[in-house]
Amino acid sequence: MSGTGHTVKSYEEEMQSLNDNLVMMGSLTESQMADAMSAVIKVDKESVDKIVKSDGKINELRSIIDNQITTVLVKRAPMAVDLRITISTMKISHDLERIGDLAKSVAKKVKPLPVDLPDELTASLRRLGDLVQKQLKDVLDAYLNKSKDKAIEIWRKDEQVDDLTNLAMNEVATYLQKDKKNLEMATHLLFVTKNIERAGDHITNIAESLYYLIEGEYLEGARPKGKPVESE
Amino acid sequence: MELNNSKIKIKAKNLNVYYGAKQALFDINLDINQKEVTALIGPSGCGKSTFIRCINRMNDVIDICKVEGSIQLDGSEINEKKVDVVTLREKVGMVFQKPNPFPKSIYDNIAYGPTIHGVAENKDQMDEIVETSLKKAALWDEVKDRLNEPGTSLSGGQQQRLCIARALSVSPEVILMDEPCSALDPIATAKIEELIDDLKKSYTIVIVTHSMAQAVRVSQKTGFFHLGKIIEVDSTEKIFKNPDNKMTQDYITGRFG
Ligand SMILES: Nc1ncnc2c1ncn2[C@@H]1O[C@H](COP(=O)(O)OP(=O)(O)O)[C@@H](O)[C@H]1O
Ligand SMILES: [Mg+2]
Repeated sequence: MSGTGHTVKSYEEEMQSLNDNLVMMGSLTESQMADAMSAVIKVDKESVDKIVKSDGKINELRSIIDNQITTVLVKRAPMAVDLRITISTMKISHDLERIGDLAKSVAKKVKPLPVDLPDELTASLRRLGDLVQKQLKDVLDAYLNKSKDKAIEIWRKDEQVDDLTNLAMNEVATYLQKDKKNLEMATHLLFVTKNIERAGDHITNIAESLYYLIEGEYLEGARPKGKPVESE
Repeated sequence: MELNNSKIKIKAKNLNVYYGAKQALFDINLDINQKEVTALIGPSGCGKSTFIRCINRMNDVIDICKVEGSIQLDGSEINEKKVDVVTLREKVGMVFQKPNPFPKSIYDNIAYGPTIHGVAENKDQMDEIVETSLKKAALWDEVKDRLNEPGTSLSGGQQQRLCIARALSVSPEVILMDEPCSALDPIATAKIEELIDDLKKSYTIVIVTHSMAQAVRVSQKTGFFHLGKIIEVDSTEKIFKNPDNKMTQDYITGRFG
């Protein structure tokens, strides 16, 4: 953000390490999401345990970041851009952790799914998963490049996530109507869809935090569709 | 934070100050709002003290110092020859970095100003002034039983509050504080800051400070000085959360030089 570094070298190093940990967390979350989606689409039950296990690494990074932030706040009383970086990093790391959790929940739903999941049932879900993964990749890139325009673009695009979510839910509902025996499978798929949508909401949060970090102001106007992210 | 609807108490316009051939302030334009705390920050030697000394013409006592331009107090020019400096300094009091009580009793430290300004008519009135001044400076309870002891017998923080009480004794409108806490421990500092917060209800305060956190805690408006120029003035909130100027940002985040 600022061309010159801090006069105090250790402060500079602390901020750098905070950034490195957040970037690392972002990339782990990105693979976690990709693995979870692929497990659902391929009904790959083998990979589930691995996905569940790697969520631990994301959580661990979040608590490392929390500790680092507490230290920076106490030691440095950061001001202006440093204050905004510190606050935004805290928020972003929490959103990433939630995305990781949601990926884990998605993966866990793979176990009860039938191996011969009909393609017609997952077409929209697949598109939704692709879009959310793209959003996640874009928001992490935007963070690296501190791109305000990208942040706004991602924030706006959440509307498409919502549209695709509705589409995917309708597909499952239609399938369910055909035969009530599909109830259990349909329920799992609805869960998966909803969790992916929630991950999208957290990505929107990250775009907001990023915008605040860069601009020092909050993104104006209602969120796309004006829905707050519920924390559960 | 609203800056616009406050009344301007002090207005500096195109102020230039020289020490001999060396220019210390360049074209300073700054509005100071009434009953508000304005903090001045910036690296050592950038002209903060020179600036606040212009507000009560303390620079007059420095032979080589020449002040050009305008400073208005409530709309009237203070830089004119005809202005009575004693009356001006009654209206614009000053507190310095190192507490500097006179080598006199606590009582006499406060009574000194009202005596030379001829404010009190008798001993009762003087007692009254001493008590209210010490109360306003949040020192009364600590010293009421030892008013005849020397001012220098007090702790550093108490001495500084004594100096504030002394400034208040002549009923000023403006109080200038030049790094008033830099010689104090954190608790004494906290007491002074609390006092400043209280005093701003009745007085206009300008404080020079090297502590960013202090500027945030006590002030509503902040001006950043660098090499004799004002780089940025804005609400304190704006300056410390999201300053417009890169130099301001570099200074407050410790990226300077
Ligand atoms: N009495 C003086 N005689 C000559 N130069 C002075 C005097 N007081 C201050 N200066 C010079 O004016 C500049 C501003 O000083 P000052 O107002 O004390 O800065 P600050 O309070 O921001 O540290 C400095 O370069 C300083 O050396
Ligand atoms: Mg000074």
